Amino acid sequence: MRLRSRLRGLVALAAVIPVVALPASAGATTLFGSGSSAEQPILNVLFKAYNKLHHNVRFNYLPDGGNAGVTDVQAGRRLFSVNTRAPLPSDAGTTYFKLWLDGLCIAVNPQNSVSNLTIAQTKDIFTGVFTNWSQPGGSNLSSTIDPFGRNSSAGLYTFFQQAVLGGATQSSNVAQETSDGLVATNVSKDPNAIGYIGLANSGKGSGVKRLSINGIACSQTEIKSETYPLFRYAWGVYPTNHPSTAVEKFFDWVRKSKQAGQIINRGGAVAAFNNK
Amino acid sequence: MDEEDFLEQSHGISQDQRAELWLGALVFVVVGVLLAMLAFVTYQAWPSFAHNGLAWFGPGGSIDQQITRIFTSGDLKQTPVYTFHAWPLIWSTILTTVGAISIAFVSSLFIAVFIVEFAPPWLRRVLEPVVRLLASVPSVIYGLAGVLVLVPFINNHLITQSEKASVTPIISLSGAGLLPAVVVLTVMISPIMIAVFVDGLRAVPRGWLEGSLALGVNRWRTFWKVGVRTVRPVLVAGTVLATARALGEAIMLLMVSGGVGFAPNPLDGPTFFFEPFRTLAATIIAFDDERSSPPMKHTLYAIAAVLLFSAAMLSFIGWAAKRPMRRYGVIA
Repeated sequence: MRLRSRLRGLVALAAVIPVVALPASAGATTLFGSGSSAEQPILNVLFKAYNKLHHNVRFNYLPDGGNAGVTDVQAGRRLFSVNTRAPLPSDAGTTYFKLWLDGLCIAVNPQNSVSNLTIAQTKDIFTGVFTNWSQPGGSNLSSTIDPFGRNSSAGLYTFFQQAVLGGATQSSNVAQETSDGLVATNVSKDPNAIGYIGLANSGKGSGVKRLSINGIACSQTEIKSETYPLFRYAWGVYPTNHPSTAVEKFFDWVRKSKQAGQIINRGGAVAAFNNK
Repeated sequence: MDEEDFLEQSHGISQDQRAELWLGALVFVVVGVLLAMLAFVTYQAWPSFAHNGLAWFGPGGSIDQQITRIFTSGDLKQTPVYTFHAWPLIWSTILTTVGAISIAFVSSLFIAVFIVEFAPPWLRRVLEPVVRLLASVPSVIYGLAGVLVLVPFINNHLITQSEKASVTPIISLSGAGLLPAVVVLTVMISPIMIAVFVDGLRAVPRGWLEGSLALGVNRWRTFWKVGVRTVRPVLVAGTVLATARALGEAIMLLMVSGGVGFAPNPLDGPTFFFEPFRTLAATIIAFDDERSSPPMKHTLYAIAAVLLFSAAMLSFIGWAAKRPMRRYGVIA
């Protein structure tokens, strides 16, 4: 009998706990999003800063790639997505909203003396036409080129494919890494390496050397003035029909507010529309 | 015994029988979940197998290009493309698993024998906790160690320029490939095997070993001919456990293998050990983002079905290998 009454007590307790816990979490909304993994570091800081201003708004972000993120929004699985390529006809049902600017840098190991490449030379390297560092010229090395890149599920690869390769697929000798950070790590460790990395992951502490493309450096000023050829916008994506007002307010804050602009600049991207 | 319990017993089933029923129900739930998972994976994987037939397992064309074509055909306006010849992935999985298991088995057996029989007590007290600690390290840490230390070392010191030039532009030898993958995989599965072997060797009846020693056989021969022979079922069990872990290893292999859908060719000579590849499990992780495209989803589930089937076959082989050992009164 003692055991049974104890059991009854436990069951009663278990039923009470969710009732007590419910009011505590009521009022907090979690906004579910997905998309680009290259922009995730900046997004995480933005989420935290917005949460400090609006305590009842929390975010849950899945970095499954820009293309997958758009499909998530179209299917109604996510409230918003962040993508790094311009809208295509296949993105029907979604609205694209410019958030900030980002650049695609071509980076080599610091031991490599090459400092400038044309887009045509970069395309030749990543399509397997140039296989040795003596071919593009400007390098102190005469060893085989080790190209590093992303696999076909990454939004950064789609951007690189359109902007540099002109729609061609990258050669099979490009090692396919699953994230921006891994490409940067591999390029920083291999003297013969070259890779395409987002602006955020190729900064001073990453151990890679950014190249200038067509004579223009991959830096914040060049990207903001849109003179650097490999720039792109980070787009916020939300459904055209019945978008969430919380998401729209967040995107407005990201695009216009001074605090968000500081976060974006500090994160290695370029604030395009924010108040100073 | 209380009044109420006594009354209850005379009415229906006792507490023991109730416990039996609950546990039996749980067993059915577990088996049910397993069968449901198998059925779900097979159902999702069926379109990919139906379109390719047995050619799914064969070679033919660049698998990375096939994956891109499958993914882009997922648009609602196009007819879905399912062409997929997974031989490079299957061959890479076989190479890494067989390579890691063969090296790990031999070394783990010797280490286990040393720990149980031949190590001085102070060394045994240090080795055992260390081995169990290594067995519980998450595999992504091994992957990090591989990417940050082993891969650059191989790239800068073991691969020559002529080897790199000989394979470009088909693939690039940048350190990540078969050699670091097999090394890291071996280091990862050895602690499991050592722990299982040590437990098994400890369970050998002391009397059998002492009897052999009493007959004048020396310590080394006694342990090998009597001890290790007795625990053959445990060796099989440990190997099956380690093989299952090696088969399912995805994240670590993705970091140190180079991530290209290429089948390393043993006829290439020394270059063979540096060639990049991608295993079945690593492919699922690498292209998991593309699951939103229906043909790609079916292809990924097909790969998962192959992995599930190999795990089932592994268990079956383990059971079948232990059956002949029952004759000798061995704990099988």
